[in-house]
Amino acid sequence: MTSAGGGTAVAAATGPATGSGHVPGQPDMWFFVVFESLIFTSYFCVYLFHRARHEGAFLQGQSHLVLWLGVLDTVVLLTSSWAVARCVQHARAGRHRPALRAAVLTAACGLAFLALKLVEWARLIHMGRTFTSSEFFQFYFFLTGIHLVHLLIGFVVLGVLVRRLSDRERPSQQAVETCATYWHTVDFFWVLIFALLYVVR
Amino acid sequence: MTGGDGRSDPKRELWLAWYATVAFYSLYAVVFFVVTRTQPPGKPWYGPVEVAAWFSGHHRGLLVGFALIFVLGGLSATSIALITYSIRRMSVSRAFAYSYLILYAIAAVPGFLFICVAMTVGAMRPGRDPAVLRWLYDLGFLSFSGTMGVFLVGSLIWMTAILLDQNRVFPKWFGYMNLCNALTEVVVAPSWIFHGGALAWNGTIAWWINVVVFGLYTGVFITLLRRMILREDFGRGPLPDLAPTMSGPGEAAAEVAAA
Amino acid sequence: MRRITGEQVIFWALPLVAVMWLAAFLLFPGFLPPMSPKWSAARVAAFYRDHTSRVRYSMVLFNWFCVALIPVLMLIVERMRGMAHRTPVLRYCVIGVAGAAPIAFLTSTIFWLLAAFRPDRAPSLTQLYNDLAWITFTCGIPFLVAICVFLAVSIYLDQQDRPVFGRWVAHFNVLIAVALVPAGFAGLTLSGAFAWNGLLSFWVKNVAIAVWILVMAVVLGRALPRHHEGLGTPA
Repeated sequence: MTSAGGGTAVAAATGPATGSGHVPGQPDMWFFVVFESLIFTSYFCVYLFHRARHEGAFLQGQSHLVLWLGVLDTVVLLTSSWAVARCVQHARAGRHRPALRAAVLTAACGLAFLALKLVEWARLIHMGRTFTSSEFFQFYFFLTGIHLVHLLIGFVVLGVLVRRLSDRERPSQQAVETCATYWHTVDFFWVLIFALLYVVR
Repeated sequence: MTGGDGRSDPKRELWLAWYATVAFYSLYAVVFFVVTRTQPPGKPWYGPVEVAAWFSGHHRGLLVGFALIFVLGGLSATSIALITYSIRRMSVSRAFAYSYLILYAIAAVPGFLFICVAMTVGAMRPGRDPAVLRWLYDLGFLSFSGTMGVFLVGSLIWMTAILLDQNRVFPKWFGYMNLCNALTEVVVAPSWIFHGGALAWNGTIAWWINVVVFGLYTGVFITLLRRMILREDFGRGPLPDLAPTMSGPGEAAAEVAAA
Repeated sequence: MRRITGEQVIFWALPLVAVMWLAAFLLFPGFLPPMSPKWSAARVAAFYRDHTSRVRYSMVLFNWFCVALIPVLMLIVERMRGMAHRTPVLRYCVIGVAGAAPIAFLTSTIFWLLAAFRPDRAPSLTQLYNDLAWITFTCGIPFLVAICVFLAVSIYLDQQDRPVFGRWVAHFNVLIAVALVPAGFAGLTLSGAFAWNGLLSFWVKNVAIAVWILVMAVVLGRALPRHHEGLGTPA
């Protein structure tokens, strides 16, 4: 992720560019963010449509979710977002050690979220609430599952972030910001899922 | 390898492949959506009686439409060849190009061969046992939309190549769009489980939203391939951008011939 | 000492493999004369009961060797390197379909073998496998048509003093492609020239494939020695 965004730009800026224009990170990543947001929004609309038709059954399903677990998930991911934002700040100021530490903290929070999510799923499956047991849980496992896939991709992105941070020869603030943007998006999607599935009753 | 003598456009074969790609995807869309009406797909919850009725209602369209694919389906190789070429033009290892070529060459089998065979066999004998007809119905629809691996891995390969590429063959946002396309293959996985609802093979999420994403993706890459051909300088370094005055393949050919 | 490229090995394996294909074709009891799509399920079941062994052995043979066409197709792709093309796109087109082409044959052998595996199952199921095999075998031609078309286009675009293949090879490939087209429509009718046992879908199609293999083998053989010098040419 070294060159500037696509389109008809005349010359590509390489090296320690801090991002062209007013947008942090690669503009191309924002395309991805917007596109994925549209897709997720459409998933949420489908969920709400089905929920409206079987409100009682959905409420019943939702009652089996543990609210405080959801809150904990949210707090963990928000912390990870804060950590990756600190990482970007440190990197911009040239403080590489603190930036790396912040990136590691981000990954740790991500892992914590993963562990919490797996525990929650295991608990639900143990109780007999599975992917196929009811319409609500079909959506629950689908939405949290596809979000988890995005989180796993996020670990790969964090790996790229750490590699670019450690690369003293071709430092790229833009790459760091691009990876951070992706991570914030993962957090953003979770907040929406949390609101829709756990809170709205 | 001797080049053209200057009279013929060196990009000729690229343009031939590109127009063949457009022709193929147009044919594909018309056959599946209009002639055979297998897209949007039939309902997965149909019992044998409804399936038999579905086959008789779609009888002529299935046989004629899929016969056209039996004859012309090999045109799909042109888009694969162009994309392989585009990856080869990148600064990354040729392993990416060859992987893509093989993956998508295989993809033709679940991509259209199975559904063509299953639906043709289903339609050719109207008196066939309805339970058997439903087996063919499942085979056709599930092999078509549910075979995810080739497209998942293939898209990831193209994505990785684009993101690592320093020759700017494709814009980075299209690299990310490959990730979106790869994720549609994850989203369609539940269609192997559900007989109805949003995640079934005809569901709002597993079919409608997925097809919108795939359709946009296809339209975008066909357009980007065209721009790549226009920009191609047959070198090994970064591809030049399109100059604002350039308006078509004729001018591009003149530029290259004059260079 | 001449560098051993192995291309001659692949090439001279072709007659041996062709003998296998011919043997399988003759051994399979359903080709001469070709089974009719109009047979009742009971008659199809009886066929598999009466000819079980011949079906099994011929189809195992065919299954083993039908993919042996691929190395020969790759020899042709290597000859295409000598053509006056600016890019490898046309080679990629041929490679792209060369893989899928024998898969159609392979899949049909699987269905025939399945039909013969339990000859005493319900006749409607045996008829199903038989239908699947015949439709895949007869109609599974898109990749063969494409190879002919891509080759023809490649040769037409190969405009140099000593083209790799003569122009007549291109015309020939177009002719073969046209000859294969009717077989794609075999699902539309159970009798007549287009049915899977009919003149166009069976005889014309299979003879066309055989003639293509024969002619391309001769053409390829003539193109091989000439290019030992040109082996160092970069793509």
